[in-house]
Amino acid sequence: MHNTGDVKVPIGPQHPALKEPESFLLTLRGEKITAASVKIGYNHRGIEKACEGRTYIQDLYLIERICGICSHSHSTAFAQAVEEIAGIEIPARAKYIRTIVAELERVHSHLLWLGVAGHEIGFDTLLMYTWRDREVVMDILAQLTGNRVNYGMNTIGGVRRDIKAEQIPQVLKGVDTLEERTKYYIKIAGEEPTLINRLSKVGMLSYEDAIRMGAVGPTARASGVQRDVRKDDPYAAYADIDFKVITHNTCDVYGRTIVRVLELMESFQIIRQLLAKLPEGPISVRAPRKIPVGEAVSRYEAPRGEDLHYVRANGTDKPDRVKVRAPTLANVQAVALMLEDRYLADMPIVVAAIDPCFSCTDRLVSINYVDHNSKNTFEWEKIHRDSIEWYKKRGIDFAKLNKTF
Amino acid sequence: MSPEEAIKNDLERKFDFLNGNITIKRARRIFVDVPFERFHDVLDYMIKKMRCAMLSGITGLDEVENFAAIYHMSPEGKIMVNLKVKISREKPHIKSIMQYFPIAEMYERELEDLLGIHVDGLPEGRRYPLPDGWPKGEHPLRKDWKGAGLEMKLEGADA
Amino acid sequence: MLMPIFNILIFPGLLFLFFFSLAAEFFDRKLGARLQNRVGPPWFQPLADFIKLLGKEDIIPEEADNRVFKLMPVFALTSVSCAFFYIPLWGKNALYSFNGDVVVVLYLLTVPILTYFLGGWYSRSVFSMIGAVRSLTQLFAYEVPLFMTILAAALLADTWSLSKMAAFYSAHPGYWVFNILGFVIAQITLLGKLEKVPFDIPEAETEIVAGSFTEYSGRLLALFRLSINIEMVVGISLLAAVFMPWWLDAGPIAGFIIYVLKVAALISLVSLLRSLFARLRLDQMINLCWRVFAPLAFLQVIINLILKGALFK
Repeated sequence: MHNTGDVKVPIGPQHPALKEPESFLLTLRGEKITAASVKIGYNHRGIEKACEGRTYIQDLYLIERICGICSHSHSTAFAQAVEEIAGIEIPARAKYIRTIVAELERVHSHLLWLGVAGHEIGFDTLLMYTWRDREVVMDILAQLTGNRVNYGMNTIGGVRRDIKAEQIPQVLKGVDTLEERTKYYIKIAGEEPTLINRLSKVGMLSYEDAIRMGAVGPTARASGVQRDVRKDDPYAAYADIDFKVITHNTCDVYGRTIVRVLELMESFQIIRQLLAKLPEGPISVRAPRKIPVGEAVSRYEAPRGEDLHYVRANGTDKPDRVKVRAPTLANVQAVALMLEDRYLADMPIVVAAIDPCFSCTDRLVSINYVDHNSKNTFEWEKIHRDSIEWYKKRGIDFAKLNKTF
Repeated sequence: MSPEEAIKNDLERKFDFLNGNITIKRARRIFVDVPFERFHDVLDYMIKKMRCAMLSGITGLDEVENFAAIYHMSPEGKIMVNLKVKISREKPHIKSIMQYFPIAEMYERELEDLLGIHVDGLPEGRRYPLPDGWPKGEHPLRKDWKGAGLEMKLEGADA
Repeated sequence: MLMPIFNILIFPGLLFLFFFSLAAEFFDRKLGARLQNRVGPPWFQPLADFIKLLGKEDIIPEEADNRVFKLMPVFALTSVSCAFFYIPLWGKNALYSFNGDVVVVLYLLTVPILTYFLGGWYSRSVFSMIGAVRSLTQLFAYEVPLFMTILAAALLADTWSLSKMAAFYSAHPGYWVFNILGFVIAQITLLGKLEKVPFDIPEAETEIVAGSFTEYSGRLLALFRLSINIEMVVGISLLAAVFMPWWLDAGPIAGFIIYVLKVAALISLVSLLRSLFARLRLDQMINLCWRVFAPLAFLQVIINLILKGALFK
C-alpha cells in the first residue's frame, strides 16, 4: 500500500471532466497538486495539410469544420486573409452580417461555457439553465444561417445569405430574452456563496504572467490585460461599433466568469447596434477562382481569444500554405502554471476556465492508413474492412461474436 | 508619420541590412525578411526596445528551395510585425526563442514535428502535435511528403 | 413464528425497503430534474437501472483484492438494512429495540462509508483510491456534528433507545421544538453521509470519475447503488423519528401515510439543497463542519443539558 508520498493521477485522454481528448498528468500530495504537465495533440486531423490540396472554396468549408463552437471564427479569419491577398473589398452589408453572426456565436459560446463551468464544480443546475437559454441563440442562428453550428455563412467575397427585414424583430426579441436571463446569471455570480467560494482565488494568473505566457481572450482580460483584437486590430464592422473591452482584475476563475457574463451583455448591445445600422446593398462580390501570389495574416477575436490565420497563395486555385493558430494553444500553457499548488478539486474548473477547444488547437494529421492511389482519401468500406482486420489480428473476430448472440 | 512607418524607420536605422527588406502590406501589417544569422539580434532589439511582448504564433513554411519560419509578433497587440527567417534545407535548424516567450514551446514543437526543422535549445518533452508512435523522418508539411509507405511504418511502431 | 419472518423479509422489512428506496430514488431524481428545468426519469427508471445492472457483466480489476472487492457491497447492503429495523417508523415502536439502539443505528450507518473506503482502496485504481480517502476524510468531518445532534435529542429524552425516544416525544408534545437547531445541522450533515451535492466530494465525477465506485460494475455496482438508496431512506427515517415525532398515534394506515409524507418532505429538502449549491472542496467542507456545524451541535447538547436540568428536577 503506497499511502505515503506522491500519487500520479492521469486525467485524460478520456476523462469525464474533459469534453475533448487531451491529457494532464498531475502529481498529487494528498489533495494538493505539486506538479502538472499537459499533453495535447489527440485531435490532430491534418487540416493544414489537407488545405494545400483543395481549392480556396473547399478550404473555407474544411476550415469551418475545425471546431464546432467557433466555426464562424475560423471561416471568417480564413476568408479575410484570402480576400486581402486577392485585393477584394467586400460590401459593407456583408461585413455587418459577418459581425452579427460572430457576436451571436460569441453569445452561444459563452453561455455554453457558463454551463460547462457549472458542471465542473458540481453545480448542474447552472448547466441545465444556461443550456436551456442557449437554445434561444441557437434558434436565432438557425433562423439566420440555416444551421445551428457550422453556419456556412461565409464565402470568399462576402456572405451567402442575407438577413431579411422581417427577421430583425425576431432576432431582437431573442436578444432581449437572453439579456434578461444574463442579468439573472450576473446576479447569481454575485450572490451564490458556494459558487463564489469555489471560483475565487482559484487558478491565479497574475497580470505579469498573463503577458509573459501570452494569454489571450477572456483568460488574459480577467488578469487585467487589455487585449481584444476587435479593438486592437478592427476587422469586419467592428470599427463602426461602439463597445467596451471588459476586463477584471481578480486574476482568478471568478474573474474569468465575470468577464464572460459581462461580455455577453456587450455582445447584446453590439448586435442591436449592428442591426440598427445594417447598410443596404449587395452581400457579396465575385471572387476570382485563382488567387494571385501573396501572403496575409488575419486576426480574429474568437470567443476564446485571438485566432490567427496565415495564408500564402501561389497564383493557383489552391493555397500554398494555411496556418491556423487557435486561441487555446496560446492559453493552454498557462494552465500548468495555474494548477500548481492548487487542489485536485480545482483542476476541472481551472482547465475549463480557459474554455479549451482542443479540436481548434490540434488541427493536423493522424492519418493511419495512407492509400496513395486514391489521393489520400479513404472509402468508408475500406475503413470498415481495415478495422475488422485490425481486431482480427488481435484475436477478436466480430463475425464469430455475432453468431454467438 | 504613421506608427507602422515609425517601426519601419526604427528598424532600418538600427539594422542597415534590413533596408528594402521591410514592407508595410497594409495598416497594422509589417513583413520583415531577416537574414538567418542576424535573426536573434533583431528579435532581441524588438523585444527589449520596441516592447514586442506578444507572440501570436510561428508559421513554418516549405518554400521548396529552403524552409522558412514566420514569427508573428506585436507590440501591445495592435501592429503585427511578421519576421520571416529563411532556413536552409540541407541542415534545417533554428535557435529556440523560449527564453523570450515561454509560450513558443508548442509552436517550436510544431516546427520540429511538421517540417522537421530542428529547434536548438528546446527542452526535452513530449512531441506535439503528431502521435507518439509516429515514425521518424516523416514531416507532413514538407511539400515532398506524400505519406508513401507510412502505413507500414506506423504498423511497425504499433507492434 | 411466521410473523417475525414476514416482518423481516416482506413488510416492513427487506422487500418493502427495496421498493421504498427505489421510490425514494425516483422521487429525488424527478424532483431534482424538475428543479433544474428538466423532464426527469419515468417512475420505473430506478428499478429498470437496477435490473439492467444485474444483467451486466461483473468486471473485477486484475490488481484488485478479489474477496474484499466482492464482499464490500454485500456488507454495505446488510448494515444499512439492519439499521432500518431499529427505527420507529409509524407508531412509537420499532420492529426491534433495546436500550442503546440509537448508537447501534448510528454505527450501522457508518459501516457503508467504511465499505466504500475499503472497496475503493482495494480496487487499486488511482481514482478509486482518492475517492476512498476522500470518503473517509469526509466521514471524520460530518460524523461528529451528526452524532452530537442525535445524541442531544436522546439526552433530553433520557434514553438510548429510539423507540423510547419516540414515546417520550409523543408524551411531551412540543418538546421537539428544542431540537430544531440540531435538526437543521443533522439534515445538512446527512448530505455528507449520503454523498450528495454540496458534499458529493468523494464521487465528484469531473475530478475522480466515480470515486470509490470507479471500478465497480454489474451486480456489485447494483448492490452498492441499492445500499446508497437504502441509506438515504434509513438516514432520513432516523431524522424523521428523532426530530419529527409528530402524530405517532394515528394508527397503522394513517401513520404509514404520515411516515411517507415525512420522508418525502426530507427528500425534497435533499433535492432542493442539491440543486441550489455547487460542490464544495474537501478543505472547505471540513472547515465548515468543524468550525460551524460542530460548535453549533455542541451548543445543542448544552441547551438540552440545561433544559433537562430545568424541566425534570
